Order: sequence, then structure tokens, then C-alpha cells
Amino acid sequence: MAIPERKPRPIPTPTRTTTPFWEAAKEGRFLLQYDPAAGKYQFWPRPLSVYSGRPQLEWRQSSGRGKLATRTNVRVALRGFEDIVPFVLAAVDMEEGVRVVGRLIGISYEEAKPGMKLKVCWEQLPGDARFFAFERDA
Amino acid sequence: MGGNYLAEKDIVIIAYGEIKNELRSGKTAPELASEVMVQLLGKTGLTNCDIDGLAINLPGAEVGNSFYSNILADNLGLQPRWLQLTEIGGCAVLGNIARAAAALKCGMCDIVLCLNSDASSRRHPTTVLNYRTEFQEPAGYHGPLVAFGLMTDAYDQKYSLKQEALGHLAITQRNGALVNENAVENLRKPLTMENYLNSRMMSDPIRLLDCVMRCDGANGVLVTTIDRAKALGAQKMVRLAAYSEITNYDPTTALPEPFESGFQVVGPEALRKAGITVGHIDMFHPYDDFLIAILFQLEQIGFCKRGEGSDFLLNTDLSPKGKLPINTGGGQISAGQPGLAGGGVNTVEAVRQLFGEAGSRQVPNAKNALVTGIGVVPYFRNWGSSVAMVLEN
Repeated sequence: MAIPERKPRPIPTPTRTTTPFWEAAKEGRFLLQYDPAAGKYQFWPRPLSVYSGRPQLEWRQSSGRGKLATRTNVRVALRGFEDIVPFVLAAVDMEEGVRVVGRLIGISYEEAKPGMKLKVCWEQLPGDARFFAFERDA
Repeated sequence: MGGNYLAEKDIVIIAYGEIKNELRSGKTAPELASEVMVQLLGKTGLTNCDIDGLAINLPGAEVGNSFYSNILADNLGLQPRWLQLTEIGGCAVLGNIARAAAALKCGMCDIVLCLNSDASSRRHPTTVLNYRTEFQEPAGYHGPLVAFGLMTDAYDQKYSLKQEALGHLAITQRNGALVNENAVENLRKPLTMENYLNSRMMSDPIRLLDCVMRCDGANGVLVTTIDRAKALGAQKMVRLAAYSEITNYDPTTALPEPFESGFQVVGPEALRKAGITVGHIDMFHPYDDFLIAILFQLEQIGFCKRGEGSDFLLNTDLSPKGKLPINTGGGQISAGQPGLAGGGVNTVEAVRQLFGEAGSRQVPNAKNALVTGIGVVPYFRNWGSSVAMVLEN
């Protein structure tokens, strides 16, 4: 019986807007866009500020720390994740006041409780891409 | 957004059409659409040459076809003087009826064919570019299922979701599909609470029976002015009483409750424009890609308070003879989701009811309906587009 060819796990394709984020990711730094006019951060990176509509955005390094807001135990085999399911996906409220969704590493669904402290970690993807995930923050 | 461009109630639906939802029809989106057009022309005695407005959804199966609306018109022998392609997901169907009404009131056309179809089994592109491919999918944050898992967890943390409430809704809608010949055949089997509670977890706390089954299908309506409808000798008509639409709700709140949506804007607004309150609504035909989406809408439109959705569902008879009939034909959850024509399942059912043609599931004395659409699930916010329309007979 022929084994169906599996599609690889998706990897991000940087754009003009997002290239600084992914370049910093290679160095293990998690960047956020900051709008000095509004005094607020935003995630994911956009061509302008959702708060003021202005394109004058700064890149600032996040502390990488946050708290678990919500989580789900993904049990269906999504494209490229066939060998990884089940896995826990969580929405994390970062210290900078933005919400980031990422996979939890080394934390089971039963252990993933709202409010638990998390920090950004990095998964190596095919090629030289790295993608953010979250682990326990002691 | 105080005004109601539909206040004169002079824009009407004079016919509805729908073919049976099928899992693998073997047909293309234009082929499926053509069957609905034939139904509509047959019901009204019109010909293709009488149709001068065309409003369509973008079928998932035709994504990448940059000239789809022209090509569909060519397939159907139509020469529209007003043409609209709408791609706001599950809101496209109601959105097109609303856009048709505006075009009719502006005199851009006289009779609009609002036609929706999708051939999901042929092709369903999974790639949505921009932040989805870049920031979501590499994390496994992939598609509505996972998003609804996160969203439902947030609701459950705040208000304690009662699983039996969604089970009750699942059973009610399934009972509608049992007597709906257009429902996907595989789903036309009775459902028990035990079946619901034991159904497979997909992305906790979302179960298999919380989700739609994608299928092939098509549906549509003919929309015109009341004067034209009378001149055509239309025997039945449904009036458009009010419509509200919002997209990308609340973009400046960085940490929103993910289940809060544009329905808290468009729901009350559409009712106010129609001059009614929730107590006046004879039946509710909400968009249902996931059962929990109905609970969110009930709370945000104002049928009950925040956090009371579970009890409202458990304590309300939602059947056709009940206090608030909901999705009497099974909704998409039990009749199937014909891809990006899915918004037509509940819309056509509302029109069918108001025409008094729903057979054994007819809602007695139904004089109006609230119909909604949901389109697109953005990054941890809810939803891309939310629309609400009040129909009256």
C-alpha cells in the first residue's frame, strides 16, 4: 500500500514588514511592534499601527514573558502536524499587553492552567527558520 | 449608523432555491449554481434575459479564479448590469442580499439573482495568506476548529459552559435535518444526548458534533422591488426590514475576550432599525459553523444575558412549535455546510418558513425572522464579519 506523501510543517514566509521579526527570531529575540503615539504594542506585525493608523512603528524586544489565557488540546492531524498531535496550543497574554498564540512545550493539557507563567522558547523548523512556542517560566 | 435604508420595506425576496447538500457531488461550483438558477426561473416564470443583477459568493473551489464572476455569468447566459462578488465568508449570502437591495434602490438593476454555490469536495484551498500562513499555521493554530477550541475555553473559564446545553441544541437541529430533504444524507440520523456527549474530542472542548461537515451545495434567492414583484404577479414575497454589518470588530483592543464579537453591535442595531426587540422575533436562523457560535450570538444579540446562554438553551423550546424556533432545517451543523455558500442554508430556510412552505417543520404563524451570518475567524478575535438581517412577510 502506498504511503501518502505528507506535507511538511508550514514555515513562515517573511514579508517586507515582518522580516525584522524573523531575523531577530534567529537570534532568539521576540520582537513586538510599538506605536509611540499610542504608547501600545501590537502583535502580529502589520504595516501600520492599529491604534493610530500611523506607519511610525518601532521594533522593541519583548520580555518573552506572559501568562496563559486560554488553551486547547489539538487532537486532529493538521497539515504538517501529523506526528505531533495531540499538542497543546495556548493564547498567552504577554507582559507588554499583547496576546500571542503558540504551542506549549513540555506542558500537558492537564497541566496547562489559566494564569500559569510562560516564556517564549523557539522551535527549529526546516531550513534556518525558528518559530516561537512557550515553556514554563519558573 | 442610525438610518435604515430598508425602512420602506420595499425590497423583497420573491423566490428561493436550494439543491440537496452532498458530500461528493462531482459537480463544479457553476454547475451547482446553475441548478439553483433553473429552480428560481421555474418558480417565477422569468428567463435568464430578465435577470439584470447578479450577486455571488466566491466559492472556495474557485479561489484563484480572478475572473470568476464574469465566468459564472457566461456559464449561466446572464448579462448583468450590476455585478457583485462578495467574499466575507459566511456573511456573503446575507451581505449580497443587502448589497442587492442597495443596488435596487439606486436603480442600478431591477431583478437581482443572489446565487451561492461551492464545490468543496473538488477543491478546498487551505492556504489563506498573510498572518495566517506566517504567524498561525506554523504554530499549529490552524483553522476555525482550533480557534473555536481556544475561544470556547475562554468562555468556559468565565461563565462555565454547560455541555448539555450544546447537546440540546445539537439534538434540536438534528431533528430539523431529519425532515429536511436537502440536508446531507449522512446526517439524517437521530441524535441523542449520549451521542453528543460521547462524540470525539477534536480540539478540547470542541467535539466532532459541535462542528459543521463541509459539503457541496448551492442556494439562492431572487430580490427585487415590491413594485416589480407586484408587476410580475409574485404570489409570495418576504420583505427586507433591516440589516446591519460589521467587519474586523474592535481592532484596537489588544486583549479582547475572544468570544465577544460584532454581534453585540449588529444584533441590537438590526432589531432597533426594524423597530422590534428580541421578544418580537418569531424565529432565529443563526449562522452555525460551530454550535457554540449560536450561544455567543444569543447572548450578544440580547436573547439572554452574558453567561446565561447555557441556561437559555436548556430552558427554551427551540423546536418549530417552541418559544424560539432555531435553524428549523437543521442549520449547517446538521444539514451540512456547502462551503462558502454555507450562509444560504439558514437564510433560505428562513425564507421557506416565511413563505409557509416548510412542511412538517413549519413554524406556525411566523411573521418575521432574524437571520445572521458569520465570516472568517481572525487572530484570537471574533469574528471577521458579523451580519444580521430581519425578514418579514
